Amino acid sequence: MKIMKLLKYNKIAVLALVSITLFSCGNDDLPGESQLDFTQPEKTSLDNWIDVTYLNPYNINVQYKWNQNTVDNSRYLFPPEVDKVKPALEIVETIWLKSYAAIGGPDFVKKIAPREIVLVGGVNLNSVGTKTLGLAEGGQRVTLFETDYVDKSDRDNVAQFIHTIQHEYIHILNQNKPFDEKTWKTLTPGGYTADWYNFEIEESNELGFITSYARSNINEDFAETAAMILIYTKEEYAAFLDGIENPFALQALKAKEAIVVKYFKEAFNMDFYALRDEAEKNTTSVIN
Amino acid sequence: MKMKQLYKYLFAAVLILQLTACNNNTDAEQLFQDTPTARLNKQKSELNDALLSSQYGWKAVYFTDNTVLGGYTHLFRFADDGTVQMASDFDADTATYKSEYAIQVGSTVSLTFTTKNRIHLLSDSDNYPIPALRAKGYLGDFQFLYYGQENGEIIFRTNRSNQELRFVKATAEDWTELPKNLLMEKNVIGGEERPLFRLLETNDGTTTHKFDFSFTAVTRFANSNSIENGYSVSYDMGIGYTPTGIIVSPAVEVGGQKLSNFTYNDADGSFTATGTGGVSAVIKYTDKPLVLTDDYKFLLPGKPLSWFGFFVDDYTIDAPTNSPLFYAELEKVNAALPAGQRIASIEIYANHSIGTFVYYTFVGRGALQHHVTVQEDATGKKAILKHKSWNGNTTVATPAFLASIDKYFMDPEGIYVKAESFRLFYSDPVYTFTSASSPFRMTTWKLN
Repeated sequence: MKIMKLLKYNKIAVLALVSITLFSCGNDDLPGESQLDFTQPEKTSLDNWIDVTYLNPYNINVQYKWNQNTVDNSRYLFPPEVDKVKPALEIVETIWLKSYAAIGGPDFVKKIAPREIVLVGGVNLNSVGTKTLGLAEGGQRVTLFETDYVDKSDRDNVAQFIHTIQHEYIHILNQNKPFDEKTWKTLTPGGYTADWYNFEIEESNELGFITSYARSNINEDFAETAAMILIYTKEEYAAFLDGIENPFALQALKAKEAIVVKYFKEAFNMDFYALRDEAEKNTTSVIN
Repeated sequence: MKMKQLYKYLFAAVLILQLTACNNNTDAEQLFQDTPTARLNKQKSELNDALLSSQYGWKAVYFTDNTVLGGYTHLFRFADDGTVQMASDFDADTATYKSEYAIQVGSTVSLTFTTKNRIHLLSDSDNYPIPALRAKGYLGDFQFLYYGQENGEIIFRTNRSNQELRFVKATAEDWTELPKNLLMEKNVIGGEERPLFRLLETNDGTTTHKFDFSFTAVTRFANSNSIENGYSVSYDMGIGYTPTGIIVSPAVEVGGQKLSNFTYNDADGSFTATGTGGVSAVIKYTDKPLVLTDDYKFLLPGKPLSWFGFFVDDYTIDAPTNSPLFYAELEKVNAALPAGQRIASIEIYANHSIGTFVYYTFVGRGALQHHVTVQEDATGKKAILKHKSWNGNTTVATPAFLASIDKYFMDPEGIYVKAESFRLFYSDPVYTFTSASSPFRMTTWKLN
């Protein structure tokens, strides 16, 4: 009996609590409009050009104005000169985006692309004296350094700048579909080293690496191999291979090239050599 | 029994809680009138209004790190279309350039210079003044967190290093006279005609203290250490240039007063900061070395042989202690000599068996000995060399091509001799000879 009574009290109490909860806060303010100021700054003609050239066709945002959240705050970097932004982006568009669109199909880069390109004006110097030319973060954002130094009239200069985006884009492709790491690992296993920057490029070439940076690990090796072949003209690359004296190194370089070609065919159904020829054609058209 | 009572109390407690839960009257004190968002927005418009309010814009002398670097003056004129006109005295280019700025809201409200302009020169990893700042440039920031206003100044703290930076209202003259800052830099470095020694002298109204003073132009930084025994105070300071003098940070503290604005006097090349009650600090030149040593005594009669040598084709030519006037005098000798001949060395033999003499050797012609007698100035701690003969011949005149350089050794005021603490490649001790009345200083090895 006592227990019954207790239960009754319980029920009443619960009812009371529920009703209080339901009605008590009924006169609270409903959320109104955001108090945050979302008005966008007025777009310049450069901003509009970026919208038309990058944002609308490729869904890629380009950020050239400083935003501390997209750069490493411990580094001494700065935004690019406004006048340098468009020439740099034209190079990227012509040599990278258009080449992939021509060979991989118009939608290729739309599907697999960084969603954001961040441009930084100056050099990203490391304390050991090396310079970081670019970064690819999580396949989402590519940061390009040294935008202020881009010179469209100089083929070597353009090649170095485009090297960065080609290299970082290979990383993004790898992050979507892995390459044949097992085979790659067996080609030049002894050559990888953390202090790659202490070696001359020619020295690294004779060990079967296309650059010294390729020696940092197999992922960088793959990206460097693919990017460098894309930057070389057909003749330049043939001459490069001709210059290799060590037969073992030559064999390794050719084996790496074969894996790259196979990767593009199997993963994306793309003819890598056709891509190289397209990039070469577009590079020539960029240089004034 | 207790069970039932317990429940009752529990119900009562819960009921009371529920009934009071939605009471608006919280007893907590209201610290702010507005919500955090409203306050941020208010700060944002407050900062924006302030930036636009000054007719000639704002001036900031930016000391990025006053333990290693000096100050860089920047002028800003903000416009409401999001652009800013900017000039700086970072280098010789003091022209005004236009770029964009934004007032950004993050954890707090900040002013960010979003596209490149002069202020970004302080944050270039690839352009650093000394190896210790490799990859760090000039340690500059270009995002400044807003901390309010005081006496018409806008107070910021830098984003990375959390240093206070104040924007003060600029004047029309600030813009037109900015190039004068770099002319002032030349005065801080000091011209060739100025005396060799420099000191900082402080006066707290009763006592004066003396400090040596050395300035490094690439970092705009000066080191100043006490030269008095038993008084070990140092003033290390970053220096910023103004059209009329310098601003130092940290301030020189004398008698409890902070002195940071020094005015230049072109007559003697001094910089003076004046406080109240006779307190002052002066950076000035002196002909006399700050610390006098007894090393001149090597030259006095009756001492054993001492042999000092300066050699044009050896490490002595690179000694930082050679003065510009000394180099200029060497050039003068060579210019006066016939083609194919040049000066090779200047050596000083003191108390040699044939006497004390300055020994000049040449390429393409014979050596010359200028024999002297030596007098002591014990109070001034100097040796005074007096002409006796050339190569033992007392009637021959001083050769014309040597007349100019030789007169500094024969300075009637005497010469100072100092053992230096550094070495010039070899282990031989290094001594400098300084003319007492002119900025002429030669560096030698002591060769015996």
